[in-house]
Amino acid sequence: MMLSRVADHQYWMSRQMERAENLARLVRISEEMLLDDQSLGGLDAQVYWNPVLTATAMQQAFHTLYPQPRQGDAARFLTVDERNPDSILSCIRQARENARSVRDKISDEMWSEINALYMLVNSYEGAELLVRSPQSFYEKIITSSMLFAGITEATLARDEGWNFLQLGRLLERADMTSRFLDIRSQTNVTQPDAALETLQWGAVLRACSAHASYRRVYGGEINVPNVVDLLLFSHEFPRSVKHCLRRIDEVLHDISVTPTGRYSNHCEKIIGALLARLSFSGPPEVMNRGLHAYLDDLQIQLNQAGQAIFETYVLLPGEVDRHFPRGTRPEAMSDWHREQQQQQQQQ
Amino acid sequence: MNLASYRPAKLFDELVDDHGSIRSYYRSIAEKLERLRSEELQQKLRSLELLFLRQGITFTVYGDEQGTERVFPFDPFPRIIPHSEWEHIEAGLIQRITALNLFLYDVYHEQSIIKDKVIPPEVVFGASHYRPEFVGASVPKNAYIHVCGTDLIRDSDGRYLVLEDNGRCPSGVSYVLENRAAMKRVFPQLFGAHGVRPVDTYPADLLATLRHIAPRENPNPNVVLLTPGVHNSAYFEHSFLARQMSIEIVEGRDLIALDGFVYMRTTKGLRQVDVIYRRIDDDFLDPQVFRKDSCLGVAGLVDAVRRGNVALANAIGTGVADDKVTYAYVPAMIKYYLSQEPILDQVPTYLAWRDEDKKYILENLPKLVVKAANESGGYGMLIGPTASQAQLQEFRDKILAQPRNYIAQPVVNFSQHPTLVNGELEGRHVDLRPFVLWGDTVKVLPGGLTRVALKRGSLVVNSSQGGGSKDTWVLAS
Repeated sequence: MMLSRVADHQYWMSRQMERAENLARLVRISEEMLLDDQSLGGLDAQVYWNPVLTATAMQQAFHTLYPQPRQGDAARFLTVDERNPDSILSCIRQARENARSVRDKISDEMWSEINALYMLVNSYEGAELLVRSPQSFYEKIITSSMLFAGITEATLARDEGWNFLQLGRLLERADMTSRFLDIRSQTNVTQPDAALETLQWGAVLRACSAHASYRRVYGGEINVPNVVDLLLFSHEFPRSVKHCLRRIDEVLHDISVTPTGRYSNHCEKIIGALLARLSFSGPPEVMNRGLHAYLDDLQIQLNQAGQAIFETYVLLPGEVDRHFPRGTRPEAMSDWHREQQQQQQQQ
Repeated sequence: MNLASYRPAKLFDELVDDHGSIRSYYRSIAEKLERLRSEELQQKLRSLELLFLRQGITFTVYGDEQGTERVFPFDPFPRIIPHSEWEHIEAGLIQRITALNLFLYDVYHEQSIIKDKVIPPEVVFGASHYRPEFVGASVPKNAYIHVCGTDLIRDSDGRYLVLEDNGRCPSGVSYVLENRAAMKRVFPQLFGAHGVRPVDTYPADLLATLRHIAPRENPNPNVVLLTPGVHNSAYFEHSFLARQMSIEIVEGRDLIALDGFVYMRTTKGLRQVDVIYRRIDDDFLDPQVFRKDSCLGVAGLVDAVRRGNVALANAIGTGVADDKVTYAYVPAMIKYYLSQEPILDQVPTYLAWRDEDKKYILENLPKLVVKAANESGGYGMLIGPTASQAQLQEFRDKILAQPRNYIAQPVVNFSQHPTLVNGELEGRHVDLRPFVLWGDTVKVLPGGLTRVALKRGSLVVNSSQGGGSKDTWVLAS
């Protein structure tokens, strides 16, 4: 038993941290690819970033803020732009804010790591590193997030809080892996060039740290069905959608203390159904349906699972009335609420 | 650290006596500090600041959008209070909180102190934190202030004077504990054989104090700390205390009142709450009773309190006791309720609502400190001798417009303590905030928070206005 709000903070703390990490993976690989693309006489920068922005559902926000984007704007928007609530910096800030709210529930080491990352990306040194060596900047974020996960693993009791933390991380990871795939599902149509395709799908694998696993299972040649097989259907690979879903299924059952195979609430049912679908299909079904359509559907289901978790464990039964778009925080704190928090006299 | 170049204060200096020699109880630490190399000290202090920052031991400065977090500057030269001096302070504080709790019970029940003309009715009924709707309401153990932070200063003769009582949501105790932990970590050798009284029992004592007021003597009450939230300047402290006491830290939105009981919302449904250590103002507690626009409170909380199903610490309405006009009457209260002379003196106070006082205040404004009756944190204050003409005029207008709202006191040049400033020891003004717990017994945390005004000559010690703090050592014998 724990406070519902604390469960929510734990969930979002790890989810935002995972999101920051995955965005860092995405921007890092995209910038690298952009160099290759350009040297191969491929797409121009703007066309290049469009699928990235679309796959992460940030295209509209980007074009509102940058009606006439210039070189570097997309990367800036995704990385440091605080006006973008989903930029890497915003994610880290929100992760840290959530951590601050559960400061008494997490280990000192977890807090130190998340706070140190927050301080770094907001420091002069951080800004300077991003200019001088963007790759190192993204590397730092990725490493810090993985370190945070490791510290969590090594220092946090396996109680309910741990379970909610896992849920946030795993749902975000499954969602982001599907989005990595989705980027290429869109460029694919206009790109018949085999060399470029190998390069691009290779980049997707590298973004997911999946290159080595891929080679071990399928050998050196990169083709779409195998990439899909690994990133969606693999039992073993820890960033595959199916692997994440299996863990989510376990964690949900652990929270509700329901035996495996039975379902006590809506979120367990959604995840159970999704898992069943993934278990009884494979790359051919995906390719028949069309990769993008398949992924789109998957993301909708994942979003519904997140909403169902919120409705089951955070809201009281009478409060379930709103639906929230992907990943948005259900109740963003109003300025007025924040002001009142500040007004309280601490004598 | 070079003590030879230290120039003691002209008035009262904590380290050096009138004859220019180091006070006996400071000698041993002075020797140890002298042996510390300056570079080593600086390096230790830097690592300490980084540690505070990394651990998030910070307070929030308002006024900019992000709510900048700062480390509360920590000075490594501890303030020492000898045993006998502390006994005097402790007795005075216990006497004072006893009188204040009797006063609060009285003004919310018989009001005999008013009927007996010891305190004029306008003082009580005119206090903005007086809660007439709570007259006749009973509170657990008849106690109102369970946690009190009383500010003391020392005048030019070294007398401890009470500057103000904080009986609503006093803060700062987390720094007492963190400062001590930091001192032990960075300068373990300084403690030596001093016999410094420990402070780390505070969280357990606070928890006992809170459990003491549980409804129906429940031996296993669910105690929670109610915070305004992460954006509050003292959020670190709230989180720290909740963790130390192993209780839940909740926000208003975590609680729900149903049929006169208060529950917290958990992943496994609702769980009843028995005692709330609240760190939000009365005004925000319950939108059904106080401010309707409060996002921080719980609708129906006050009803549950009235029915005796949940206890609040501190109780509703304690603000009338720490009002700065009421302050002027505390000595009279002590005589009235306890038939005793006040053990601790306090600063002479002129009340603008009394005509002769108002005249004196307006004529002598540049010599006085003027304070708004209900402000804290060093806000709403005028320090006459350093004020500009415009500021003086501003306060003159304010006093004329709302005399009940202002008091004035002579400037007390309170004591100085050697403080490390840019690697050199310089005298800086210090105050002392001990913390008093009113439970089964009355407990005073040995020492308290010594705040230091880091600007040369400044008398303002508040963290929001450039203050720092020191570890405070009460000697066991």
